[in-house]
Amino acid sequence: MLRNTTTRTLAMMALSVPAILGLAGVAEAQDKFKLGMAVGGNTCCEWMKSQGDVARALAEKEGWDYVELSNNNDPATALKNAQIFVQEGVDAVIQFNGQPSSNPAISAVMKQAGVPIVTYDIADPGMYFVGIDNLAAGIAGGEGLGAIVKEKWACNPDLVISAEGAAAGIVNEWRTGGMRTGLKNVCPDIPAEKWVSFESQGDAAVGLPAARDLLAAHPDAKKIAVVGLNDGGVLALINAAEQLGRADEVIGWGQDGAFITGDNVNPHLAGSVFYFLEGYAVYAIKDVIKPIAEGKEVPLKADAGDPASKVQPCPVTAEQAKAVPDMAERVKQLLAAPAGTTEYELFCPNKG
Amino acid sequence: MTDVTAAPARRPGLSEDWRAALTGSVASITLTFIVVVAIGWFWVGPKFLSFGNISIIGTFVIVPLIVGAFAGFALLSGVVDLSIGSMVGFSSALFALLLSLGWDPASAGAVTLLACLCFGGINAIAIVGFGAEPIAATLGMLVALRGIAWVLLGSQGSIFAFNLDMFNLVSTTVGGLPLFFLLAIALTLVAALVVTKTRVGRHIRAVGGDDKAAARAGISVKKVRVAALLLSAFGAGLGGIVYAAQLGSAARATGFGLEFQVYAALMIGGYSILRGGVGNPIGGALGLLAVAGVSNILDLKAISPYFVNIIVGLLLLAAVLLDRIRGGDAYE
Repeated sequence: MLRNTTTRTLAMMALSVPAILGLAGVAEAQDKFKLGMAVGGNTCCEWMKSQGDVARALAEKEGWDYVELSNNNDPATALKNAQIFVQEGVDAVIQFNGQPSSNPAISAVMKQAGVPIVTYDIADPGMYFVGIDNLAAGIAGGEGLGAIVKEKWACNPDLVISAEGAAAGIVNEWRTGGMRTGLKNVCPDIPAEKWVSFESQGDAAVGLPAARDLLAAHPDAKKIAVVGLNDGGVLALINAAEQLGRADEVIGWGQDGAFITGDNVNPHLAGSVFYFLEGYAVYAIKDVIKPIAEGKEVPLKADAGDPASKVQPCPVTAEQAKAVPDMAERVKQLLAAPAGTTEYELFCPNKG
Repeated sequence: MTDVTAAPARRPGLSEDWRAALTGSVASITLTFIVVVAIGWFWVGPKFLSFGNISIIGTFVIVPLIVGAFAGFALLSGVVDLSIGSMVGFSSALFALLLSLGWDPASAGAVTLLACLCFGGINAIAIVGFGAEPIAATLGMLVALRGIAWVLLGSQGSIFAFNLDMFNLVSTTVGGLPLFFLLAIALTLVAALVVTKTRVGRHIRAVGGDDKAAARAGISVKKVRVAALLLSAFGAGLGGIVYAAQLGSAARATGFGLEFQVYAALMIGGYSILRGGVGNPIGGALGLLAVAGVSNILDLKAISPYFVNIIVGLLLLAAVLLDRIRGGDAYE
């Protein structure tokens, strides 16, 4: 029976699929500029979805066609999406790829197809870099936390914990290392043995076990300051401290501002640095995509140190963050603002 | 006069072969696959069946096809190998690490496959030698291999080993379709021939169907299962190498959850996780292609990929129900 089944299965497929295959057409002709957007697709963070919403709205305002795919936080899916964009005949692509290990392959695919690609916050030599000034953001956040540590603990914490996200590479060094530098700017005499790190992977849930282990290894630490790659990483430590009943003396300061607004801000998150991640498309479109759509040559600036477009950091205390609308409202106001207006201009309470 | 007791009644006009195709172990998946293709054709349009799109689907089903074809032997012999996803992650990490250390791809690939066979051997010793439950033993290996991969990947969590020649090789197309996809299909067909037309295949299915009866018939149950577990590890190792070549890197996410993706598709394709002797590599491949087709339709219609999981879950439930309707254990 199995022998016949194999034969008949092949026969059924031969009668159906390949028969239609020959009729398949090629991509339809297009005249409008078409923008592709690959959102991060990590369920951790609402801003990843909002990045797509903003890009879609701005593309529609420009009268462009728009295709959106989700990288599903998976390197293979990100590469597959790059190939789908090429097949869909997009003229340019924006991506946030939280699994940047596939970026070299994506760059190769895009280069072969002649499609320019913008990447947010994680640089790749073949992609236009649009992102925050990570070092400045780190230092500003560290100095913000330093002010609180100085006021509350006279610059004498028991422990300073760094919530690292090593996969982000140099970005992690700039942000997390920058926060340490900023904290040292205010409190220069914290002894070296008080500085410890754990791998948070930039995610509150994923980093929780490592954070718990670290706290367990320092049972006597009461006054704990936390810096990190992003709000999620810092929250991993704060949540672990809450689980262990040790959260009272924890003060964290994050990066990216993902968890510092809204109704459920953790009281131990004393501040963060807004990047207004959801609004990055304003920068990407203004400085890279629109000039390309207008037929201009845009030099490839792929280095995070010399980006195609630099997003300004906005450090805020939790108190100041209360004046900043939540993400849905920010997106609404951003899309109602004149073209090219950034969220920094609209919402940052500490504009330089 | 016709002897009505000699044979069961047949439907007029429907040959035995076609009835086998319509009610056999791959019947439901064949129909499901055709339905997916039809939905893609009518909903997405001709683009769905363009060579470009099939090439994209094909490219990203290469690894699951390879892994599934080999893991199917273990399932058929009555042992489930849950470590395949982690083995893919480990394999890609080791291969990328060796490349980054300056090894040539052939030597790095050989050492990687050898390492995977060693871990497959440990699975075999635990399951066949010591009689451990396959699910428990390979679950342990799943966790251990994930840890080893993370150690190899280091604190960065990824190793970049982009090699343009290797990338171009795995991206080579023949007649508009990816070469490695065609090779994976060929591998599936060879596996199907082995399973259905050779003595080895009959032995594997016999061991999975009833190991005591197989042993009484003179088949070495231990040898068959050891070989099946080694094949499963080898396939996962091969998949990891292809992944690393495709992505130009290895990362913690590589292969994560692949075991569920592959086994869900194999079950949709007619295999059983807990009952050996059931399934056909062609059914498994169609299961993977059907799921990839659904995912592609959602991509092209810009629908959230999270719906894929819902659809795969429903397809799995439908496959299980169909299996029961066909007779379940008694069917085979």
